[in-house]
Amino acid sequence: MSQQISRREFLKLLGAGAVTTAALSGCASATRLVKREPYTSMPEYTLPGTSTYYATTCRECPAGCGLVVRTVEGRAIKVEGNPAHPVSQGHTCARGQASVQTLYNPDRLQNAVRQAQRGSGKFDPMPWDEAIQVVQDALANNDPDSIAFLLGLESDHLADLVNEITAAMGARAPYRFGALGMLDARNTLVMANVLLFGHPGLPVFDIAHAEVTFSFGANFTETWLSPVFYTGAYGNMRKGTPGQRGYLVQFEPRMSQTGANADEWYPIKPGTEALVAQALGALVAEEIGIPTEGLFADVDVAAAARESGVSEEDLHRLAMMFAQSQRRVAIPGAGALGHTNGLDAAKAIMGLNILVENLGKSGGVSLMPESALGNTQMPSTLNDLTSLVEKMNSGKIKVLFIHGCNPVFELPAASGFADALQNVPLVVAFSSFPDETALQADFILPDHTGLEAWGYQKVSTASDRITLSSLQPVVVPVQDTRATADVLLAAVQAIGGDLAKQVPYENEVAFIKAKLEVLVGEDGYYAASDANTLWARWLQVGGWWDSDALLIAPDLTHAVEVLQKQPSALPAAAFSGDEAEYPLHLLVYPSPNLGDGRGANNPWLQETPDPMTTVMWNSWIEISPDLALELGVCDDDIVRVTSPAGSVEAVVYVYPAIRPDTVAIPVGQGHTALGRYARNRGCNPLQLLDIQKDASGNLAFAATRVKIEPTGRKHQLARMEDRVGVYGDRYGELYR
Amino acid sequence: MSETAQEKWGMVIDLDRCNGCQACVTACSLENNVGFVGEESAAYGRGMHWIRIQRYWEGEYPNITARFRPVMCQQCGHAPCEPVCPVFATYHSEAEQINVQVYNRCIGTRYCANNCPYVARTFNWFDWEWPEPLNEQLNPDVTVRRRGIMEKCTFCIQRIRKGEEDAEAEGREVADGEIQPACAQACPADAIVFGNLADPESRVSRLARSARAEKLLEELGTETKVIYLKGGSSRDR
Amino acid sequence: MPLKTRLRLPALVLIALFVVVVAAAAVLGSKSAQAQAEQPIAFNHSVHVEELGVPCLYCHSNAQRGQSAGLPTLEKCQGCHSQIDPGDSQALQDLARYAEENKPIQWVPVALQPDFVYFSHRPHVNAGLNCESCHGDVGQMTVAEPQGDMNMGWCLSCHKKLAPERFVKLSDCATCHK
Repeated sequence: MSQQISRREFLKLLGAGAVTTAALSGCASATRLVKREPYTSMPEYTLPGTSTYYATTCRECPAGCGLVVRTVEGRAIKVEGNPAHPVSQGHTCARGQASVQTLYNPDRLQNAVRQAQRGSGKFDPMPWDEAIQVVQDALANNDPDSIAFLLGLESDHLADLVNEITAAMGARAPYRFGALGMLDARNTLVMANVLLFGHPGLPVFDIAHAEVTFSFGANFTETWLSPVFYTGAYGNMRKGTPGQRGYLVQFEPRMSQTGANADEWYPIKPGTEALVAQALGALVAEEIGIPTEGLFADVDVAAAARESGVSEEDLHRLAMMFAQSQRRVAIPGAGALGHTNGLDAAKAIMGLNILVENLGKSGGVSLMPESALGNTQMPSTLNDLTSLVEKMNSGKIKVLFIHGCNPVFELPAASGFADALQNVPLVVAFSSFPDETALQADFILPDHTGLEAWGYQKVSTASDRITLSSLQPVVVPVQDTRATADVLLAAVQAIGGDLAKQVPYENEVAFIKAKLEVLVGEDGYYAASDANTLWARWLQVGGWWDSDALLIAPDLTHAVEVLQKQPSALPAAAFSGDEAEYPLHLLVYPSPNLGDGRGANNPWLQETPDPMTTVMWNSWIEISPDLALELGVCDDDIVRVTSPAGSVEAVVYVYPAIRPDTVAIPVGQGHTALGRYARNRGCNPLQLLDIQKDASGNLAFAATRVKIEPTGRKHQLARMEDRVGVYGDRYGELYR
Repeated sequence: MSETAQEKWGMVIDLDRCNGCQACVTACSLENNVGFVGEESAAYGRGMHWIRIQRYWEGEYPNITARFRPVMCQQCGHAPCEPVCPVFATYHSEAEQINVQVYNRCIGTRYCANNCPYVARTFNWFDWEWPEPLNEQLNPDVTVRRRGIMEKCTFCIQRIRKGEEDAEAEGREVADGEIQPACAQACPADAIVFGNLADPESRVSRLARSARAEKLLEELGTETKVIYLKGGSSRDR
Repeated sequence: MPLKTRLRLPALVLIALFVVVVAAAAVLGSKSAQAQAEQPIAFNHSVHVEELGVPCLYCHSNAQRGQSAGLPTLEKCQGCHSQIDPGDSQALQDLARYAEENKPIQWVPVALQPDFVYFSHRPHVNAGLNCESCHGDVGQMTVAEPQGDMNMGWCLSCHKKLAPERFVKLSDCATCHK
């Protein structure tokens, strides 16, 4: 067997020889008949009844955590962390754990399908050569300007490949979108980095070694940027350094799970994060005796205190703490950046780091160097996506390929994306599931799920060194799915000509190997002197990374100059919805368990209680006890939430740690498609968001106001916390 | 019954590292073939979680916080569940010094659950379904429990036995940290540490001697094998 | 009271009958954890083991290393049989057809434990046990036959002969039930 196809062959054999094991049931029946099928040819590394472990990369969010998956006789049994991997360091989050339920999900598409009428859900199976023909015709018979690719934030190798294809065709580079990127405010953070440090990437915060961490709405133990890495860092911040217990201060209007772990929590008024950071900065500068110009000059601390709700006394005390600590870091989190003044907030918060000169230091802020495979393509801004929607509406887009994201569900309804799809003559979705977007496509050519796929993820943040994380199939594809890269390459090869010459790869694996050639001979966690050794090590280790921690320090001088030129008067956050009609701020946040909603059809994610509310299998609206009293609603009441952009119904959870002028709804539920466990459950708060942007063009997702009206109906939320006795003592009360 | 229970396997949970992220809950369920019950049954309190994270609100807005504590079977040295089982389905393993549930003996009286002060036991009210091909994910080392049977955390006994078997086959002792239950392995904050309490040099023993160590309902004399390290000290300033 | 006495007797008989039936069913049930069915190929153990001297571990090679002893792959069978003329032997012709179609042979396991029992060959083989100790003298059988009940008492009848500290572990429920 040649090196090139050995793994594929091997996986085919796994499928052919899958051992029929006994149906697992509690008791043996006297009459059952068990048969056993040995392999016709024993695959490499396989022993009957003995586990085989494969290193791969999680695709449940863009962080790029390294996994080691336990397989037994061709079945993926258990996801474990890859101990050598710089991001996950041997651990996983709940979503990563449940990725086996993505793999074996009963609602996955089983083959390529044609949908004669969009939205009908009536699929006609089609053979893969016909499916490839569809892609081939679409690419060959349309003006390159009228072809658009919309990709997700995972599978960087696919983004790289599509970039090569579009460049060769003369089409626009692919758009990249994911709700997690949008709700992390990644674009705003990147833009702030560009303006301050001239670096087009995301920063890395070394909270593990920080004595004092100020987090402005960064829910970094839940979903923000790289939760497994930052949760590990949180643990080490508390107990990693002997004799030191890091101190965490969180500023956010609604207590996140991260905020619940903070030593001090300040429920500041939404949109005043920039003011708080500015006031703290001015006081810090004063304390450490550096002259203030620009952003931190002439700051009215009293006004900031009044606006934000943090007392002047607290501001002074916190500033002293920050100034006097040896290692301190301020994190501009999603909650702070999701406002119309989000970019200013990002600059002001990063300004705190610049003031105390923690750049590139232990317990400070660093930047990720460019990897040998180039930088990660950052998500498209909402501006880009809005222009895509306009082009779709004006008929300029004839073909739209969608992979790895679910924009009909994840983009605010106000963006008009769903309607614009109707104006695109050909929509091809590569989704593994019949999700909301795939249901609006003419063809669904399902890609493999993460555990069946080849690929790589270029870790763009949250690692202490350059990290390339590899994906390899741990089992044969469960369904008749095909890698999107293979489909595109097959189409490109069939078109032939210049295009095939410029994109000369035979298949996905050949493409990845070609990209990896630059790593041959490079010193890293391992060094491989030839391509075959590199490939073997790459798959065995789970990627390629530097042998030592190595990040780059941002340029302080440039950053100081920028801050000095920044005017001190910052624009106030603007909100959609008149305050009199819509009195409440709406905060949407990705559910810690369901993420952007793609996990909603994994039953064990549905049944994993939410960390803060312990609710399972549903979504809810968090309302402060004072507001609940005022509105006359209580737990489990259904209310109608209305914004200038839309309206949804949600079940009340009286949440004791939220501002009375703010309500919060997690993102992730409210699916109308996707599968049996996801459908018709909870609400999708993204439908409420109005389109407001910050200066970087990112969605200001916290800038919509809402009003709430009781409906008089009730729905009992399933909660873990009610379970007092084994048999649920309080249920007598609830169901009386 | 001896005054102090013998020691072997034990677990330390550092509440200062734990931040309530639920990775352990999902990891446990997937390792141990724990059934998912759906919204209605979950609302009735029939959820089968072997480990849960107890969330406690403390204080009042705005001076409010939440604390988290993962709770599973505490593997009592003197377990209240054991003497009440009429069929010896729950018993104390002399070899492993943990509390074991034998599914094929259990007749579902639920006496054990009633007598457990930690609410650590869950009862299979129904046969839970894994629609195809979801059943492919089931761990072949763990029995799939059927209706009418009590179940609970086993400290991942299948992993303990696998580790011991491997060590024996290779003619060596089990190394510290070699055996990890699914929860400890998943925990991104490294809050859960598992090991041999009988070995004074093991990581779990060293942590268990911390001044922050506490046990749940220690006054009951249950001699639990799960030791919590108190957290959040700076909050109490 | 005579009326009641007359009624009681048949009721008692019925109950007694019921108990007997249930007990009989239970005994029969436990005797046959696997209903015996015909093997797809009438594999002749005695030819391979007794006449040709093939060691058990040649085909069931995983017994030393893992939980399951394993069944030989078709490739392994063909290692020898590709050189052997099937002649008019039905079994060999069947085998040749499986090999031609590259189709896995669906064997019916002979020694089978219920799903709630964990059993691993490795510690038993490593402890120096012969295969024959549990599986009988397969060399004398044409088609392998189940040996005895292979129930818990039978397992323990061996384990209890071990040193007391080993017995503590090997009589622990969690050794086999988890």
